[in-house]
Amino acid sequence: MAFARNAVPVLVVALLAIGFWWLLSATVYQGKGYLLPSPQDVAAATAENAAVLVGATLSTLKEALLGYALAIVLGIVGAAVMAQSRLLERSLYPYAVLLQTVPVVAIAPLIVLWFGYNELSVVIVSFIMSLFPIINNTMLGLRSTSRNLAELFALHRASGLVSFWKLRLPGALPHIFAGLRISAGLSVIGAIVGEFIIGSGNAEGGLGVQIVFAQGRMYTALLFAEVIAATLLGFVFFLVVSAIGRLLLRHWHESAQGD
Amino acid sequence: MSGQGVAIGLEGVSKRFGAGRDEGLQALGTVDLALRPGEFVSIVGPSGCGKSTLLRIMAGLVAPSTGRCTRPDGIATAFVFQEAALLPWRTVERNAQLLMELEGHAPADYRARAAEALALVGLAGFEKSYPHQLSGGMRMRLSLARALALRPGLLLLDEPLAAVDELTRDVLQEELSSLWRQAGFTGVLVTHNVHEAVYLSNRVVVMSPRPGRVLDVIEVPFEFPRQPELRASAGFAALTGQVTAVLRGQHRAEASA
Repeated sequence: MAFARNAVPVLVVALLAIGFWWLLSATVYQGKGYLLPSPQDVAAATAENAAVLVGATLSTLKEALLGYALAIVLGIVGAAVMAQSRLLERSLYPYAVLLQTVPVVAIAPLIVLWFGYNELSVVIVSFIMSLFPIINNTMLGLRSTSRNLAELFALHRASGLVSFWKLRLPGALPHIFAGLRISAGLSVIGAIVGEFIIGSGNAEGGLGVQIVFAQGRMYTALLFAEVIAATLLGFVFFLVVSAIGRLLLRHWHESAQGD
Repeated sequence: MSGQGVAIGLEGVSKRFGAGRDEGLQALGTVDLALRPGEFVSIVGPSGCGKSTLLRIMAGLVAPSTGRCTRPDGIATAFVFQEAALLPWRTVERNAQLLMELEGHAPADYRARAAEALALVGLAGFEKSYPHQLSGGMRMRLSLARALALRPGLLLLDEPLAAVDELTRDVLQEELSSLWRQAGFTGVLVTHNVHEAVYLSNRVVVMSPRPGRVLDVIEVPFEFPRQPELRASAGFAALTGQVTAVLRGQHRAEASA
């Protein structure tokens, strides 16, 4: 029931959008498939290039997952370090912001210089893109511990470490997952942007590489298929992270209840 | 008074928050108070008079600016907040075990004592529930159970019943009173509810507006166990009237000054 209630409106919108797309491609863009291929063309291109699409998607997935994992570990550890004292926060947080505001495209050449034209460089771009929301939300969560509970832990002589594991970290989980959800999509975008700029060491490459190829060949239908694959990849990533968050928080947090 | 006969003693205790040229905020005037072991004392006073600060000084959560707070060694102290202050991600039983866990008791030990305390407050059967599934009154019972499981010699209560509805409050007052008689701890209750203070206490400490000082300490002569009907009696009305008069008198003096 819940599934039907959630899925039906979304599917109706998807059908309407595809219908409108088909209408456009059959009228205004009739005979201009290189600008807007019809849904049938895109489906055909998908079938024809299935092996390349799957390979590229898996390759991008791998880079995004690695970048994301790195961002989770360093983001949560970094936020935990900064949450230890105001001084540490004041000294380090501006650099976390800088990492977010520096244009990745602009430092990509530097990354290539340091790490080479390979997957590792792509992973690093994905990592940089997804780090900040995790750091920022984790810090917010670690700082919003209830004062009464903090006093309770202090009264019963809980060490800083015990308070962290039993109070502050679990209390921060809803915030941490808010950050993780944002970063899930960003890590995929980061991987694709990275591939755009850096390419890949091996022949096949991920979706970013394939998108550049398809553009060069004016193979717009395949380009569409790849964009759709990239979008779905980010979307599925987001859904999986959301589901894990709901599973962990379902017993106690409002955000994971209802429906 | 010294040593044996005192559960907790305050001598010349005052508290000023903030410092420097603006002299900070004098939250609490000078307070002297000695609590006898096993007695139940309520502290009433207008909002902002520093009664919660006084309780936090007794708990050791806040250091007094002047004076000292003395407590015999080896007395377990537990604190109950106005909000139940539970860990929402822990089940009822895991919440009840928390304080003993923090104090380093053995798991077998704290499991048994938490179960006992839950039964005592009438939460047996809810062990696996989560706090959000409980009513406000049940959450407060759980907060009490968590404190009682520690078998405290001193139980400090900071307006624990201010947030529950009136009917629940009456019931919880009776339960709290009977828990106190069973467990035998020294109780200090901060409240703005004069009826609650008189109903539960051996003595009621009445405080002035900020910076709070002790205006009067009123003995409550009624025998324990007290029955709910006591609330309707003339003697009870006279005593609550007396406490209210002390509170009001000070207000009037402040207003005309």
